[in-house]
Amino acid sequence: MQEKAEIRSKYWLALFLVAAYTVPFGIGIYTDNVFFDLQWLADLTTVILNGIMQGGVYAMFAVGLTLIFGVMRIINVAHGELVMLGAYLTWMFFFYVGIDPLLALFLTLPIAFVIGVLIQKLLLNAVVGGPELTPLLITFGLGLTIIHIVEAIFTTDYRTIPYAPDALQISESINIGRSKIISFVMASFISISVFFFLKIHRIGKAIRATAQNADVAMVCGINIFHIYMITSGLAAALAVAGGALVSIQFGFNPETGVLYTLQAFAIIVLGGRGHYIGALIGGVMLAVIESLISFMIPNGTAMVEIASYGMMVFVLLIRPRGLMGPKEN
Amino acid sequence: MADAEIALDIQNLKKYFGGIKAVDGCTFQVPKGQISGLIGPNGSGKTTTFNLLTGVLAADSGEVLYNGENIVGLRPYEIFNRGISRTFQITRIYREMTVFENMLSASSMKVPLREARARAEQLMEFVTLTKLRGEYGGNLSYGQQKLLEFARALMTDPDLILLDEPAAGVNRTLLNNLLDHIHHLQEEQGKTVLIVEHDMNVIMNHCEKVFVLDYGVKIAEGLPEDIQTNEEVIEAYFGHK
Amino acid sequence: MGQNEHLRNFGMLAVLIIILCVLPSNINLYQRSVILFTMMYVILSLSWNIISGYTGYVSFGHVMFYGIGAYATGILVVDYGWHWIATLGVGVFVSFVVSLCIGFPVLRLKGPYFAIAMLGAAEGTRVVATVWESLTHGGEGIGLPNVENSFETYFAMLVVMLATIIVSYWVGHSRFGIRLNAIREDEIAAESLGINTTFYKLSAFALSAIFPAAAGGIQAYKILYIDPETEFFILVTIYMKLFAMFGGKGTVIGPILGTFILYIVQEITWVKFPTAHLIAFGVFIVLVARFMPRGLMGYAIDKGWARKGMVH
Repeated sequence: MQEKAEIRSKYWLALFLVAAYTVPFGIGIYTDNVFFDLQWLADLTTVILNGIMQGGVYAMFAVGLTLIFGVMRIINVAHGELVMLGAYLTWMFFFYVGIDPLLALFLTLPIAFVIGVLIQKLLLNAVVGGPELTPLLITFGLGLTIIHIVEAIFTTDYRTIPYAPDALQISESINIGRSKIISFVMASFISISVFFFLKIHRIGKAIRATAQNADVAMVCGINIFHIYMITSGLAAALAVAGGALVSIQFGFNPETGVLYTLQAFAIIVLGGRGHYIGALIGGVMLAVIESLISFMIPNGTAMVEIASYGMMVFVLLIRPRGLMGPKEN
Repeated sequence: MADAEIALDIQNLKKYFGGIKAVDGCTFQVPKGQISGLIGPNGSGKTTTFNLLTGVLAADSGEVLYNGENIVGLRPYEIFNRGISRTFQITRIYREMTVFENMLSASSMKVPLREARARAEQLMEFVTLTKLRGEYGGNLSYGQQKLLEFARALMTDPDLILLDEPAAGVNRTLLNNLLDHIHHLQEEQGKTVLIVEHDMNVIMNHCEKVFVLDYGVKIAEGLPEDIQTNEEVIEAYFGHK
Repeated sequence: MGQNEHLRNFGMLAVLIIILCVLPSNINLYQRSVILFTMMYVILSLSWNIISGYTGYVSFGHVMFYGIGAYATGILVVDYGWHWIATLGVGVFVSFVVSLCIGFPVLRLKGPYFAIAMLGAAEGTRVVATVWESLTHGGEGIGLPNVENSFETYFAMLVVMLATIIVSYWVGHSRFGIRLNAIREDEIAAESLGINTTFYKLSAFALSAIFPAAAGGIQAYKILYIDPETEFFILVTIYMKLFAMFGGKGTVIGPILGTFILYIVQEITWVKFPTAHLIAFGVFIVLVARFMPRGLMGYAIDKGWARKGMVH
């Protein structure tokens, strides 16, 4: 039965996720990285908490990608590059003007919005609804261009922003970096604001209507190209905000954007393409898996990338609609 | 039903989409060597039935016996290779391939290229597309695409031909040609044809037997003239009196 | 009519081969290596074209097969003392097996998802090459014995290119190729009309995986040093994709033409403007995808200089 296949795929997905969370433990035990003493458990808790904090940021920029996908059925592979661009913008304001990274959001977000609108107007508006691969190639070329422009200006050196480097002691042996907590709070605030914007505001409703059915939206007097541009601007702003929050936690260089695209894509596939809440949940889940991997597997940091890829490919194969996405036919 | 051999024996076929019962226990027998029609109001499950018969959709349950073999669960190409060919309701010609390539794509690899080419030429000639043989399929008019699809479905000389709304968008003269050819296939070569059609003229004048679907269930079958006066059918089409 | 066309095409190919055979002894080392790499990209873009142009499964990770070939040669020559020509066979075989293992699940994904999954597969292979130190020497890479090999590698590349062109030509003029096209155009229709899509997709994928492995192996022996970063460099995929798209994917001439034009252009700009040329390539991809998705050959077809379709 149709229902049966549906339920079966749900179970398979659940099984896959359980496996994804247990495999790091398995490898950890196999390679003697797991000790069941108090210190190790405290470390594990720290790692998971850190993962959740980081997940909030992932979720925020993944939401941008899922918005674009939901409204236009376009996969913007330059999304990670916009995150990277956001990090550099924040870095510039911090070092050259001396603006606090969080206050700089008031400057970077409008810039990002304009960039997003321009990308949409100049490149993507003409290809919405056409063959799926054209926008993929276009945004791919765009990403490449952004990477190398940034590289030409800033070289490939890693940059960091020293911001709130101290850690918050939660208990004797559990602590979390203050910058992580700030990022998480900021990211949650922005994600929730965008959520309510979509739910309540007139334009937000128009965006959702367009995502549901562009033709009907058009008939109802919504200028969908207008909506496309706002969506793109919003997505770019979310990406750049993500970049700002990433920049105060980690080092970055022009090529880190590729990884962000990948993570964002894995997240929206897991959460369900085009689904807002799904992206938030997916973000946290991916970040926690990544933390577990880098915590327990030797050479794990290099494996983090594989986690995203594996997640994406398996979910697409097992259950293309992910956790909460709409059904496709 | 004792009058004819059975080409396709459909037993209790079911397909649900979520809560919608697209095909809900459909049972009927397509007689061999005849032209049969499958009709029903919009959304009655005709196209879904076609997709189940050709393996494009997987049936939830039920059987389809073809030459004594249950073909439910086979991949579409396997069903095709057993001699069941089809056209689509909304044409699915290959848009960026030439008309000739569209034809050739359906030929069996076991048939030598020379023969396949000859057959393609012959069929293109028949549907009057020879002049357009080097044109992209996507550049044809809708009616021409219908014809191309019909010709393409005949490339392998199938025994059973499923036509999904062949009349839609094809002009009268061409349509009559096409129907003549279908009759020719049936009478001279003993082919079985099953047609889904909204154009009642086509059904009434050309089908020997008609099946009526409503809400995924067969509600009537019989000769065209009997169907026309069948209470249940009228009710299905026009609602309660 | 068809006969004459084939003769003309093979005549053209023969002229090209003769030129490429005579050339190396009359030019210097640098020019020889430029032509060698041009030939390499002809192999790569034609191979990419089989799965992405003919079959419509656009791969963003084809560099993985090239990298596998390079590593097969590097490891077998350095650690096991094989003759380098013999290692090419191993690279091709490994690549073939890997392509089947990866292709089976991944070819079930459609359009953009396949593209990104392939990107993932390539990056994954790179990570494996970095992490599996006992086999691949990890991130420090493998240095090959330094000998003068510019002629050997040149002719090896020429042979592999010839093989790639002939196979591509066959694909581009046979019912096999038409069936790949049918899958590209409408997979459901293709499957309903007798094409075992799984089989054809896998065959196309495997065909498109073996030649890059050979090219990668020869290239490793040519440049004498390989590491994960260069052998699985995403730019290699970008190049093959761009060359094929610019020339016209889904044709035989297109990728060859595209490579000869663009590789020479990139070689010149590369020396003069190392960073700007990458920016320009990004912009160029955008422009090609946006304004001429069917490439030079598409333009030629629209102008009536070339015929539509591949079998006439």
